[in-house]
Amino acid sequence: MARIPLSLRVNGEAHDLAVEPHRTLLDVLRAELGITGTKENCLEAECGVCTVLLDGMAVNACIVLALQCREREVTTIEGLAAGGALHPVQQAFIDLGAVQCGYCIPGMILAARAYLDGNPTPSEAEIREALAGNLCRCTGYQKIVDAVLSAAGAEVPARR
Amino acid sequence: MTATRVVGRSLPRMDAPGKVTGSAVYAADFALPGMLYGKVLRSREPHARLVRIDASRAVRLPGVRAALTAADVADVRYGGSVKDEEVFARDRVRFAGQPLAAVAATSLEAATAALAAIDVVLEPLPPVLEVAAALAPGAPLVHEGWAGYAALPILHRDGNVCNRARIVVGDVERGFEEADRIFEQRFTTPSVHQGYTEPRAAVAQWDSAGQVTVWSNTQLPFEIQNTLAEILQVPLSRVRVVVPGIGGGFGGKLRVGVEHFAALLARKTGRAVKVMTTSEEELTAAYARQPAIVELKTGVTSDGRLTAREGRLWFDTGAFAGSGPGVASVATLMLAGPYRIPNLLLEGYAVYTHKTNFGSFRAPSGPQANFAVESQMDIIADALGLDPLALRLKNIVREGEEGPTGQVLTAVGLDECLRKAADAIGWKERRPAPGRGKGIACGWWTTTGGSSGVYLKINPDGSVALNTGAAEIGTAALTGAAQVLAEDLGVDLTDVNVVSADTLSTPFDFGAQGSRTAFAVGNACRAAVADLKRQVFALAAGHLGVDESALELRGGAVVAPAAGRRATLAELARLSQASGGGLIAHGTFVAPPTAYDAKRVEGHVYPAFHSPSFHAHAVDLSVDAETGEVTIHRYVVAQDVGFAMNPTYIQGQIEGGVAQGLGQALSEEIVYDGGRVVNANLTDYKMPTAVDVPRIESILVQHPSLVGPFGAKGVGEPPNIEPPAAVANAVASATGVRITSLPITAEKIALALRERPR
Repeated sequence: MARIPLSLRVNGEAHDLAVEPHRTLLDVLRAELGITGTKENCLEAECGVCTVLLDGMAVNACIVLALQCREREVTTIEGLAAGGALHPVQQAFIDLGAVQCGYCIPGMILAARAYLDGNPTPSEAEIREALAGNLCRCTGYQKIVDAVLSAAGAEVPARR
Repeated sequence: MTATRVVGRSLPRMDAPGKVTGSAVYAADFALPGMLYGKVLRSREPHARLVRIDASRAVRLPGVRAALTAADVADVRYGGSVKDEEVFARDRVRFAGQPLAAVAATSLEAATAALAAIDVVLEPLPPVLEVAAALAPGAPLVHEGWAGYAALPILHRDGNVCNRARIVVGDVERGFEEADRIFEQRFTTPSVHQGYTEPRAAVAQWDSAGQVTVWSNTQLPFEIQNTLAEILQVPLSRVRVVVPGIGGGFGGKLRVGVEHFAALLARKTGRAVKVMTTSEEELTAAYARQPAIVELKTGVTSDGRLTAREGRLWFDTGAFAGSGPGVASVATLMLAGPYRIPNLLLEGYAVYTHKTNFGSFRAPSGPQANFAVESQMDIIADALGLDPLALRLKNIVREGEEGPTGQVLTAVGLDECLRKAADAIGWKERRPAPGRGKGIACGWWTTTGGSSGVYLKINPDGSVALNTGAAEIGTAALTGAAQVLAEDLGVDLTDVNVVSADTLSTPFDFGAQGSRTAFAVGNACRAAVADLKRQVFALAAGHLGVDESALELRGGAVVAPAAGRRATLAELARLSQASGGGLIAHGTFVAPPTAYDAKRVEGHVYPAFHSPSFHAHAVDLSVDAETGEVTIHRYVVAQDVGFAMNPTYIQGQIEGGVAQGLGQALSEEIVYDGGRVVNANLTDYKMPTAVDVPRIESILVQHPSLVGPFGAKGVGEPPNIEPPAAVANAVASATGVRITSLPITAEKIALALRERPR
């Protein structure tokens, strides 16, 4: 299939590419650019491990065509830690023990970051709703939700 | 116990920074220059004669570099306890999803197009789809040549039964005569998938010396090495398996999955080949949990003393034995429950059908058997007018008593677990409102043995490399083991770096399975520190001019307290580098065998639970009277962990294990119709999301194991065992309706509520 020129901005850096029209953003990030912090699993927008930010909005990169990202800003997990300092959501995930196998974590952190940008003082129920498109099989979500609460400056419920 | 500095503290896991920044590399991320993509053609028929397969048209398509069928690979049967598996169907197809061919191409699209160009003729045959059909007199044999397969000699095999494991204690008939009441129930559970978020993935590459390296997300690199050597027909030394990183396993990544396809295609093409599963392949052709049928007959006196139990559990193991014979064995120990029952006749069967080869999933056999045993305990309590907690406390095993096969139980924290879980959930008020009720369930589980070796290398800056053959599957088990190491060495956790899971260079490890990694690797670290002490004391004695007997290892240094002299590990490592090739210590651990009465077991590959753990779960939930929908208000786990190496990650195991268990309790089922899976995607296979899982409260009970490092017991699998039973008991408490099949869907509850006598 014919390749179409695409200038793709990822984490503030422009990449001049030529991609086939059916290529997904996920495929281009992982296979063309070697940006593998964005994970791959179901390829049907069911699990959320490929979540990235497109102009600040959380999207499933597995169902976004790369050509739809022309003149838009893509942020992956690699672009979240500005100048080497971890983003507060990343730090909270470490501090609250929210990471196990870690495969869902980049998507989870980006979904949380996008949600907190729009709602900086969410309730626990709102956080759970916001993360409901991101499956995690290790943690039972509790420490993930606590980490997001903590990053938002909210009180984390006392745990037994 | 003296206070600890590192172990027992909630320190952040060592691999967390890489995982939150995206720099951690998983097998699914692994790539090599010029790599090809492999895809597998799978049967759509559950049972068929393979009349013809011809891939010659496929290999001529653009971008396609190789296509393999059974004719292109050695005619070997491989497998764990029964060697009944083959790489590709040769003349008979035994499940819908069985591999028929594999292709490698320069892109996934080209590989997918090539699959469609393979000419296959299958002649469908009547499939055996259920255990009952497989056991019926004159049933067609799934493996007509079963008797000729190599198998563990202790297995009891017969036709479609690839093992019958049995425990016999006392005389059940006499025990039933002593009983005032006898309870007989039947329970069923479906297949459920581990649901790891990273698909199974492998990249293989052969070098010019004829060695293949396979980067895979397996939990058991050394077992995969063995299996690949068998399949590829090369010496073990020609196969190297490396685990870059694993995105969850839960038992689903124990056995060869895609590694052999990658290795065979790489050999054929002379290029690196990557093979990764799709969600559809995961749900149709992976190692999901065995469906089970459980029949339990239990005798009890009117005051609630258990006198006898006859129990049978049939696992549908699918088209190949896989884990089935072992899991059927473990099931018999679980059917006894953590109870003192003087007369037992317990059987576990692994039965062939024309379905995928079901396998091990976190606490294999645990949830199925526990659902039956603990549901029946509540049925008994209700019928006798006893409190379910009191009935359990009356019958649970206690310190020094015997387990079902005669093992002597020590560090039994079950009484404390039951009481603490009940207190926390507010057991006294068991039905706080109409449609609301509380349930409790308890159980026991093993800490799997097996051996582990580690090497320690002390670097000239005093930091320590921990070299282990175990893989980190996400539990933080290797952080736990490193905490044990740092504690014994007197260094900080940040001074330790881990090198892991490379069959060429790391010491043997029995693998990340059976709740054993932190336990076994932790103990191997302790042994390695003892070896290191011998070396550094000899070195330091000369260096410091004192006698070895005057030396101690303390705070990352060898000290001679009386002489007031010390040498740091860094100094000694530099000294050793200059004089003796550097400091390397070796430590090994193998769990001591647990004594049991061999006369009580038959066909049993797992006759005793090592360093058993004990646990109780309590749940408070409401049931919507119209829709049957369950809302969980509170969920409490009290688990005897022996010693909490890192409380944060133990809570993490409990929270995650319960979430997975609640999926099995309420929503998850791989649905078959005519031998084909009808819900092979993550929308129709319903795993819990963040809105479905309640806040889980963990109570860590600590009755130290005599064997585990600092008293630790296995932690990872147990939390997955009790949720189905606890939920079933709470639903019964809330509604009076007893659901005996999993999952306990709103639909099942609503239908049962409508049929309930009013």
